[in-house]
Amino acid sequence: MRRRIPRILLAACLPALLLSACAEVKPWQKGELAKPAMQFDSDPLAARLAQHIYFSKEGASGGYGVGGGGCGCN
Amino acid sequence: MRLQLTMAQSTRPPRVCANEPVDADNNLSQRGAVLAAALALPGVVAAENAPTEGLIAFKYLWYHDQQPGLSRITVNSPSVYTLLPVGESWSVEGTVVVDSISGATPRYHTAISGASDMNDTRAAGEFKLTRYFRRAAVGFGLAYSGEHDYKSTAASLDVRLASDDNNTTIALGTAFTADRIDSSDGTVTGETRQVNDFVVGLTQVLSPTDIAKFNLTYSHGRGYFSDPYKLVDVRPRLRNQTAVLTEWNHSFASESTLRSSYRYYSDSFGVKAHTLGFEFAQGVGSGWTLTPALRYYTQSAADFYFGPTYDPVLGPPFPPGYLTNPPVYSSADQRLSAFGAVTVGMRVDKRFGAWNVDFRYDYYQQRGDWRLGGGGSTGLDPFSAHYVQLGIAKSF
Repeated sequence: MRRRIPRILLAACLPALLLSACAEVKPWQKGELAKPAMQFDSDPLAARLAQHIYFSKEGASGGYGVGGGGCGCN
Repeated sequence: MRLQLTMAQSTRPPRVCANEPVDADNNLSQRGAVLAAALALPGVVAAENAPTEGLIAFKYLWYHDQQPGLSRITVNSPSVYTLLPVGESWSVEGTVVVDSISGATPRYHTAISGASDMNDTRAAGEFKLTRYFRRAAVGFGLAYSGEHDYKSTAASLDVRLASDDNNTTIALGTAFTADRIDSSDGTVTGETRQVNDFVVGLTQVLSPTDIAKFNLTYSHGRGYFSDPYKLVDVRPRLRNQTAVLTEWNHSFASESTLRSSYRYYSDSFGVKAHTLGFEFAQGVGSGWTLTPALRYYTQSAADFYFGPTYDPVLGPPFPPGYLTNPPVYSSADQRLSAFGAVTVGMRVDKRFGAWNVDFRYDYYQQRGDWRLGGGGSTGLDPFSAHYVQLGIAKSF
């Protein structure tokens, strides 16, 4: 129990450190990033349905945000 | 506004990764066209600008799951999502979904005899209002989900802050959920559950072809967590859950994109899980996109899960020693056992101007011996599901 939190904090900080070491990308270099396929939430309904299915069949849930509310399906 | 100032001050001078080629695009007209295209699209490029286009999407899900010798649950689920820009600095989002659920589920482990029949309809809706500022957005959401035996109401607040160059976005969010449980067989009435959720997120443009997202979520729940339809299912009235999610999207030349994700999960029930996901979107011309997907999931069992070895006197579903030394908490729910699971899916998109039509098929299976590193729960039948989604969306 006691070791769980530091491991999570380490996992939390590592990406932030890696990210801060990267280049500044100029607005005119963002054409590829604007493609629909590059968006994190390009199909909100599909993402919601997938999370709902996994939530009701697996022990783990969360990580994607807050506010969806609960249901009796687990 | 004070937060926005803080963000602006923290914007770093340009730096370059040692291993990253700097793209020198010298063609001014090409540069202008790409910029115009980039600015015209909502989402990451103008991270916290109000959307300039509305969207309406409809999806139909058909889902079925089973185990050897038992056809379990079938779900038919239509849903609608809409995003409406309101003026220049507001947007409204709404989602409505109706699930029609029927079939049978085991009352303990994967026991077929005595499986409980169910027939239920769930209606759920979400509403979100977002106010956009120059480099920030504040969203307020409400959600409701109702079945005849389970009602859930939630409210959420989130703040997103973008750096001046829009390459970094920080998101903070919180939600409160209040649930009420009254089982249809009358064994559980007036039970409640309250959950506080928190999220801290970071989205970072890494290069002209890479963007990453990182989320840390924490959930603190109190109340009734047991399953009223399972036998000898008594779970703690407290559940704290932590999840760390990293997503990375990379754009290749030749119209292909790789979306990768990894999630680590840990909770106070003793479940620890790893989830790894890949989607490879490949444009194949004339508005068609094919996206094969692969997901692997592995979890440890909850501390109070017991396997299908029963008390020699009482027999199933009671764990050994149930009479002489009954456990405080116990569950024979397959979902709290140790297992691994694989999903294989394929999505096909076809775009016609402002319209997009999509079809997706997924096959899912979980097995004790697919757990990462071995040590999965034994004595349970494999569980499998397959589902089809058909969608149509229009931007306006």
